Amino acid sequence: VSVPAFAIVAIPLALVFLTLVVPSSIGRLLTAAGGLASAGCILTLVVRSAGGGVTIDPVSALFLIPVAIVYGTVGLYTTWYVRVEPIGSRSDERYRREFLALTNAFACAETIVPLLTNLAGLWVALEATTLVAALLVRLQGTDAALEAAWKYILIASCGLAIGLIGVVILYATGTEIFGPHYNPSYTTYVAAAARLDHDGVRLAFLLVLIGFGTKMGLAPMHTWLPDAHGAGPTPTSAMLSGVLLSDALYVIVRVASIANAALGTGLTRHLFFVVGLLSLFVGAFFLLQQRDIKRMLAYSSIEHMGIVACGLAFGVRLAVAGALLHVVNHAASKSLAFLGAGRLASRYDTRDITRIRGGVAALPVSGTLFALAGLALAGMPPFGPFRSELMILAGGFSGAWIIAAVVLGLLLVAFAGIVRSTTHVTAGDGPEHVRRGERDAGAILATALGFVAVLGLGLTVPPALATLLERASDIFMGRTS
Amino acid sequence: MLHALAVPEAFAGTVAMLLLLVQLSLFRSVVLPELIRIYAVQSLFVAAICFAVGVTEHAWDLILLAVLTFVFKAVLLPLYMQSLIRNISSRVELPARVNVMLSLLIAAVLIGVAVLTAVQLPLHRGAFLPQADLATALSIMFVGFLVAILRPNALAQVIAFLTLENGLFFGTVTLAPGLPLVIGVLLLIDVLVAVVVFAVLVRALVEEHAAASIHVFERLQG
Repeated sequence: VSVPAFAIVAIPLALVFLTLVVPSSIGRLLTAAGGLASAGCILTLVVRSAGGGVTIDPVSALFLIPVAIVYGTVGLYTTWYVRVEPIGSRSDERYRREFLALTNAFACAETIVPLLTNLAGLWVALEATTLVAALLVRLQGTDAALEAAWKYILIASCGLAIGLIGVVILYATGTEIFGPHYNPSYTTYVAAAARLDHDGVRLAFLLVLIGFGTKMGLAPMHTWLPDAHGAGPTPTSAMLSGVLLSDALYVIVRVASIANAALGTGLTRHLFFVVGLLSLFVGAFFLLQQRDIKRMLAYSSIEHMGIVACGLAFGVRLAVAGALLHVVNHAASKSLAFLGAGRLASRYDTRDITRIRGGVAALPVSGTLFALAGLALAGMPPFGPFRSELMILAGGFSGAWIIAAVVLGLLLVAFAGIVRSTTHVTAGDGPEHVRRGERDAGAILATALGFVAVLGLGLTVPPALATLLERASDIFMGRTS
Repeated sequence: MLHALAVPEAFAGTVAMLLLLVQLSLFRSVVLPELIRIYAVQSLFVAAICFAVGVTEHAWDLILLAVLTFVFKAVLLPLYMQSLIRNISSRVELPARVNVMLSLLIAAVLIGVAVLTAVQLPLHRGAFLPQADLATALSIMFVGFLVAILRPNALAQVIAFLTLENGLFFGTVTLAPGLPLVIGVLLLIDVLVAVVVFAVLVRALVEEHAAASIHVFERLQG
């Protein structure tokens, strides 16, 4: 194990214990420093992986990038957040320490997932993220938080139970080739893909897609998602939406790669189309009628996961690469949007979209960046999501053009919903009683850094990322070299 | 060609059938303590199967897991849950959306689906239930989901999840005894978490003097 690979797990893990014992005024600075250090190590690892220098494979490296972006910015953001929040019933020192420790634990669990290729280990790591996330959602102690946490833990656990049965069936299928005791790793299965029993792989992929798709927020298994995103603390919402969804997708991509190598891409394409279009549909239309700013962003997450699933379904290399790039872009823009929304909700003391006006005037930096994040999520150039959505659609129109046209139509619906809400909350003068201006360095820096990622990924795809995307799409489509 | 069943094999087959019957009896009970007892009995059977697999495969980790399962899922946690609800169980109503007969009919259809799915798969079988391991595991999980859907009560849904997890545990142990021990241990942790959820719900219930119906949980929608 190389030094950066060790560090990205060790840093948040050490911070879990540190933040519990030191005062929260120091703990929040440690968390910020840890987030940035961890992000630096991840990016080093990613660049080295693209150059072939380290042992983690391109898919793992790609799914680590969201962790770097989100943990890095959320760490900074907490320096402001623990000082003033929550609006809920608890705001004492113990709450703050618990919050910081759990946030670092969440980051740690989310980092471990993409590092693993062993399917049993992956299930364990994802289960760990569920437990930590439920504790975080529960933390503010309100009735809504309790309800959201209960719903989340029950639905996610049931989903993971289905996913595990999928893994068990894949394992049982493999015993024909490898004997009763073997390491259920991705590489093991792919190496023997041609000899795996087709029915076993089919059922396993279906169960994995349903099970882990629940955690990814794919419709119709998405019902926990808006509640958990809405009721949890804002930094938690950013981490849930930006990283946890992509972690669940990572497992699905691994098993889909095995299925693609064993059966060809037909089965996974069909199933990805079903869940992808359904999620796009649910996300786009429910977005239109949301009044809670965080729930609006949560439905946008469902919509974007739908876009990713459709991109994987088109089965063209350009679209698959676009889908994988969209995972990174969505993490960057959605976490930025959540951080901005958290600032607005705190300043106006409400999450009701109809009662927030003049966000840019009240919060010159985070309000403006929230508006830009909204435009990015809606798919406007020159931001990251525009590029990846263009890749997905270009790939789609070269093959299954009717579905691509449907996707485009749904994207327009979502566009209208997001742009309407974000302009409503940011434009205009706003009420008199709301204070204007902002001085919180941590929050400003966090949103600014997030925006650099959103804009940077739109303007250019760094060569290291391009290499990773190319290799990862080949792996996904079952073409192992 | 017929062959004589080995003793552990026959034992496991019988216990698997009992597991499913116990699962189906969830539809009948109308009081919470009874649901918890059903869960305890089912856990006992699951622990027994895990033990039998461990003995046949000479796998010490499975035997250890069986002991842990017995201690926690069949004894300690059910006792703890019983003590939690001692004062409120008379207040908790366990309504069902449809009657017992119809529930069982739906369950029968689901079990049929599970069996048909399972026979499609020419999986390499271990020593246990060569024909029925996957079918039983899937059936228990399906019925667990059905109970959760048909019982609009938060506490009953937690127990439905716990039994569903028993089905998962059964499937893991019989279909893939070679899977690492960590899975089994984590499933136990999962159960602990579910019981903590149960405790939190009961406490909320005691505080609010309201029924633990999920109807109190209907603010977050749409």
